[in-house]
Amino acid sequence: MPFATARTITLQGALGHLVDVQVDVSQGMVGTTLVGRPDAAINEGRDRCRMAIQNSHFTWPATRRVTILLSPADVPKSGPHFDLAIAVAVLGASGGLLPEALERTLFIGELTLDGRLRPVPGVLPMTMAAAARGLDRVFVPEPQAREAAMVPGMVVFGVRSLAQVVAELRGEPLPDAPPVEAVSGSRLLTWRGESRVEEVDLSEVQGMSDARYAIEVAAAGGHHLLLSGPKGAGKTTLAERIPGIMPDLTTEEALELAAIHSLAGLLEPGDDLLVRPPFSAPHSSSTRASLLGGGTGKVRPGDISRAHCGVLFMDEFPLFNSDIVQALRQPLESGEITIGRGDETATYPARGMFVFACNPCPCGNYHPSAVVSTCECPELRRRDYRRKLSGPIIDRIDITRHVEPLSRKDTDDPVAPDPESSAVVRARVQEARERQRERYRNDPWRTNAQAPGPLLPLRWPLLAPAARRLDTDLYAGRLTRRGASRVHRLSWTIADLRGLAVPGIEELDVALRLRTGAPLPLAAIERQAG
Amino acid sequence: MSRAEERLARVALCRLSEPGDPRMAGLVDELGAVAVHRHLCAERDVGGMLTDVAARLADLEPEAELERAARAGIRYVIPGDPEWPAQLDDLARAETVQDRGGLPLGLWVRGPQRLDEIAGSVAVVGARSATSYGADVAGDIGAVLGQSGVCVVSGAAFGIDQAAHRGALAGGGRTVAVLACGADRAYPAAHKQLIDYIGEHGAVVSELAPGCAPMRVRFLSRNRIIAALAGATVVVEAAVRSGALNTANWAERLHRPVMGVPGPVTSAQSQGVHHLVRTGAALLVTSGAEVLEVVGKPGEHLQEEPRGPTRARDALSQRDTQILDAVPVARSASADSIARTAGVGLVEVGSTLLRLHERDLVARTEGGWILGAAARA
Repeated sequence: MPFATARTITLQGALGHLVDVQVDVSQGMVGTTLVGRPDAAINEGRDRCRMAIQNSHFTWPATRRVTILLSPADVPKSGPHFDLAIAVAVLGASGGLLPEALERTLFIGELTLDGRLRPVPGVLPMTMAAAARGLDRVFVPEPQAREAAMVPGMVVFGVRSLAQVVAELRGEPLPDAPPVEAVSGSRLLTWRGESRVEEVDLSEVQGMSDARYAIEVAAAGGHHLLLSGPKGAGKTTLAERIPGIMPDLTTEEALELAAIHSLAGLLEPGDDLLVRPPFSAPHSSSTRASLLGGGTGKVRPGDISRAHCGVLFMDEFPLFNSDIVQALRQPLESGEITIGRGDETATYPARGMFVFACNPCPCGNYHPSAVVSTCECPELRRRDYRRKLSGPIIDRIDITRHVEPLSRKDTDDPVAPDPESSAVVRARVQEARERQRERYRNDPWRTNAQAPGPLLPLRWPLLAPAARRLDTDLYAGRLTRRGASRVHRLSWTIADLRGLAVPGIEELDVALRLRTGAPLPLAAIERQAG
Repeated sequence: MSRAEERLARVALCRLSEPGDPRMAGLVDELGAVAVHRHLCAERDVGGMLTDVAARLADLEPEAELERAARAGIRYVIPGDPEWPAQLDDLARAETVQDRGGLPLGLWVRGPQRLDEIAGSVAVVGARSATSYGADVAGDIGAVLGQSGVCVVSGAAFGIDQAAHRGALAGGGRTVAVLACGADRAYPAAHKQLIDYIGEHGAVVSELAPGCAPMRVRFLSRNRIIAALAGATVVVEAAVRSGALNTANWAERLHRPVMGVPGPVTSAQSQGVHHLVRTGAALLVTSGAEVLEVVGKPGEHLQEEPRGPTRARDALSQRDTQILDAVPVARSASADSIARTAGVGLVEVGSTLLRLHERDLVARTEGGWILGAAARA
């Protein structure tokens, strides 16, 4: 029975489903049927594949009934990259290829009418999904070979045409073909500020010892951070330097990030795995789609996903649209974002560190001292502005710090010690991260901020006096249950930075101050600086 | 009795006794330093001191001591010297605190700042376990004082002290550090760079001879020197048991103004200051400018009363306000309706509305009158 199966992947957001493209060629009414919930692009692929096969000088079974089934039948499938799998499956079922040659292999590529391949977004996550299911070979359009090669354990064939694929599968020498152009069109979403972030260093920042300690704790444990202060206080300066004190991405994290870039259509053929944590700073006028993900057509990942395992900086946070702000609840809490449209929902990872910055009022000039303040905002506007930060969002922010602009005592101090460089702080953060990696080696999370709340008092309790103090605050209503969990995690991060085995009352005290925005004891800050 | 003899006697006595020992101060006041020195060296008991000092008699070499000090850039300033700060003399009349008190025998000084030029200085002291808030305020106060030419006196300790010194230096001003160890040492060791800088640009002062170690009880006697050298004392952050409260206590005894900077009521580091203010022992200040207002000459550095922003509505008479309050915000109303709501006669309402209209406080619409732009803050 002329029957063949080729494999490809369909993506739902960042999740890949293995799809069997089963082709049956037999007697019956002449025609080609394609079933299994294909989308419009795949459906059109019938014609593309037929022409591609014929123009590559192979034979399309024109006198037979061709049935193409995309299995499993109930998963919605999308993307023009099914072409290659369909084409080779048809050839396999009609005698052009041995069906056995298609085993354990993934086929990705869109076909042109003359049989050439075109690149498609998402090759990396597709390859990752295939590797997870035991496939060990993949055919991709040539410009994307490097992307697919990022996945360990996969043999990658970068090919230019259907004819080359067939030749390879038959074990014949490859025919020539013109090279495939890389993904066309300009980058959909610009990556603002990325290169700048690599040039900056903490050694350029004077004073602000309180805020420096806060970003160190935030980076060490992956905690979300709010910086509030007047214009020019240095909030942006500090936020830009946070990626610099975070250690290099692990291979796993780098792959995840590259997969997201691939899905956003940003991965260039020559790109290597990104090693430094990403920094994304969307403007407060950003649309929902560009920030959270979505867009017309395919649901693409947004800024918050492209800051996965890095830093998402939302400056002038209260100016962002309320809907968007409320939608941040999910990524703040669980590190992923689910975007639904119609019956297609996509879940993208978004486990970056959120850094919010806000001014005391819309014009940014408010000062509590009536003598100094030059603010002209009406009271009502100021209240509305601050209200954005209330409730569910603020409850999910671990660290709150107030920053003031530098004064003479900071800039002209003749005996001020040289500010530490990013490298020095990064080394401490790295050590703290390693302690966390050790602690969570049998668990699926990597940092203190990701550890689930209910497990904290059971598996990683604080020392008794600290636990008692935390309970007291909780029952007195000074902390919500979620807040108590966050303070608990912060205590662990502080203990990790200090090299302690378990957090005690001192670490809890610092954690409470970090969360409530209370000033930190100098001893806690200076301890870091040796 | 030449000055040289006097000086040597005091150096010796300084080595023999602990600083701030009221018995020694009393004896020297009564008999004179040279006599007391002679008695003790001959192992004759005076004032019950012999037993305490006996162990130290053997190593006394005051001349060599002075020479060594001079080589290290340290001078010994004693009462009667031109450099002797007159404000210290108040110590002779003040009662003891925790068994420490009295005029110092002399002060060892390292640095170019003359002690007779700091009469108008301000001591800025506070908790060692300060918070970043306290350190910031202390630094800012120090900078303002320094910029205004007021010398800042403190103890170079962790927390508030070091912030105040550094603020003064950043403000381009003068600062004096009084230590509880010899003026050639740095305590705490972590502040060596700061203390050495002060030794080169200000003055490092000690009642203890060079080489002496800091011991607990010596901090208490040190605090009285800080309070006595300065014209006023500001406490920035102090917990309930802070040593800074001891300094404030001394300032009060010496009838110098005491000021305190408050903090959050939930902060343990501010509770000592709050207690001082509550009991009337300290005046509340919130900035360097306010400190200057307290210590400056009358009429100098006057601070403006803080005011909220004035709005157009504030300047209206009672009657006008009554009428304006009756003008609706959302939907306009007729003059009749406004008159009824306000409880004012129609004629008066009519003319007032016209006046208010000129100032944009009310606006005229088809339906009548509505609140104007200037009244919607």
